[in-house]
Amino acid sequence: MEAEYEKPLPGVTNLNRPYWEGLARHEFRLPHCHGCGHVWYPPAPWCPRCHSRDTGWAALSGRGRVNSWTVVHVTGLRGFRGDVPYNVAEVTLDEGPRLITNLVDIEPGSIRVGLPVEIVYDDVAEELTLARFRPLAAGQ
Amino acid sequence: MTTLELKDRAAVCGVGHSVYGRKLNRSAIDLAADAIGGAAEDAGLAPADIDGLIVSMGTPYGADADTLAQVLGLELKMYSQTWAHGRFAATCIQQAAMVVAAGMANVVACMASLSATGVRPGLSTQRRRRSGGRGPDREAAREGGGGHGQDPVYGIDAPDPGAAMATQAYFERYGATSRDLASVAVSFRRHASLNPAAVRRDPITVEDHQASRLMAAPLRLLDYPQLVDGAACVLVVRADHARNLRKPPVLISGMQPLPAGRDEFIWTYPGFGVAQQARRPYEAGTQPVYRMADMDRSAIDALFTYDGFSFLVWMALERWGFCNPGEAPGFTRDGRIEFDGALPMNTSGGSLSEAHLMGWNQQVEIVRQLRGECGDRQVSGAEVIQWANAYGDSLIYRR
Repeated sequence: MEAEYEKPLPGVTNLNRPYWEGLARHEFRLPHCHGCGHVWYPPAPWCPRCHSRDTGWAALSGRGRVNSWTVVHVTGLRGFRGDVPYNVAEVTLDEGPRLITNLVDIEPGSIRVGLPVEIVYDDVAEELTLARFRPLAAGQ
Repeated sequence: MTTLELKDRAAVCGVGHSVYGRKLNRSAIDLAADAIGGAAEDAGLAPADIDGLIVSMGTPYGADADTLAQVLGLELKMYSQTWAHGRFAATCIQQAAMVVAAGMANVVACMASLSATGVRPGLSTQRRRRSGGRGPDREAAREGGGGHGQDPVYGIDAPDPGAAMATQAYFERYGATSRDLASVAVSFRRHASLNPAAVRRDPITVEDHQASRLMAAPLRLLDYPQLVDGAACVLVVRADHARNLRKPPVLISGMQPLPAGRDEFIWTYPGFGVAQQARRPYEAGTQPVYRMADMDRSAIDALFTYDGFSFLVWMALERWGFCNPGEAPGFTRDGRIEFDGALPMNTSGGSLSEAHLMGWNQQVEIVRQLRGECGDRQVSGAEVIQWANAYGDSLIYRR
């Protein structure tokens, strides 16, 4: 954990607070619809598929696959300049939604679309945990 | 219920632009006056004739419509403005066509004026200095995430990594490479070399592209646009009005608005399967813009598209059905998209080499091509030109 976390912080609202609070407890949850079963991101006040307001928070598997990825060589973003080059990936969760994230425990040369990954709870600051992902060990 | 018939009801009667360049040290209002004044003169009108203004962008990078009216002394019956991001050139022009067709205003200036690298009053430089660099830009800080896939928490606040990820997905899906993409940059640079207004006029090769530095892999510097200060303006009037003005009218024959939803993502077409899009086979079919214009793709003499990254040219070709998904890398080879090729595209050099003005400089070029004013880069016999974007909006212009 860094003494002073200089990277951007999430914009926490009433809509997404359960997501961030869940991550801080190392629980990976996203909104889901009691009506149609849809799971989605980012959080919304009704189901974006059937528009039902009968929704809740579902615990997810934390597994997915790399849908795409990049390695950022140039950034103007304060807090990340010292990290270049760093990867950014889009992961398709087994439950359907996609998240922007970073992959850990992997070299850029080994990243491929379709790579199976699992969540890593990265406690980057006081009360801030990010959902990063690492390659799923063989056989899992 | 009947629908309002808008085919050929409105026309562009004048175009104008400022100089384009980095760090011009000129205010956005100053640049806007060059574009508006130039467009009025081109049409044989005066600034006093302008009674409508639709501005793309505005604060914090550009001049706002109400400010321009006050400062430049325009007497407007209507104005409107799209928010501080690109992608709205067609939206603005479509609104203008509806406004003049409905008689709500007679001469509507549609424009963008950016002073992105030079004078930008109103932002607290003191605060920016104290922060020791910039935080996430305003677009990236939007609730629900940035419109280009930005998520500053994980290190992306600019549009390019989102474009890079769409590109990487395409590369791995179809076996395309950065070398294939180079041909787009090379072709547009050839156009820019023939355009005195372009900011990058030195020809480049595939090898130059491959040697340019990685920015957000797999995109390289020569896949990126020329971010500049500048302004461009088109004047929209009723078609019958345009026929009495100085230059031949360029009719707006087809219009297709900008779509949004979970199947839309700015860099791709529905079904491509990035961001929250479902992944499914895509068929362009007959897009509404062709039905409105009562013509099909074979009538299109040149295609212009928003090329904020070279990859978007491929997405536009596939979205609008000029080729099937996966075929664009072959389509853009061998100079086929050059002004003397099979399907000329972005003949001014586009965002990649002329100037990145969110497509506004391209509207100017389209009008000039249809009037036959483009000299060494003139598309022979150009009668119909389409503006059609990866993100799904379009205009069909004809002379």
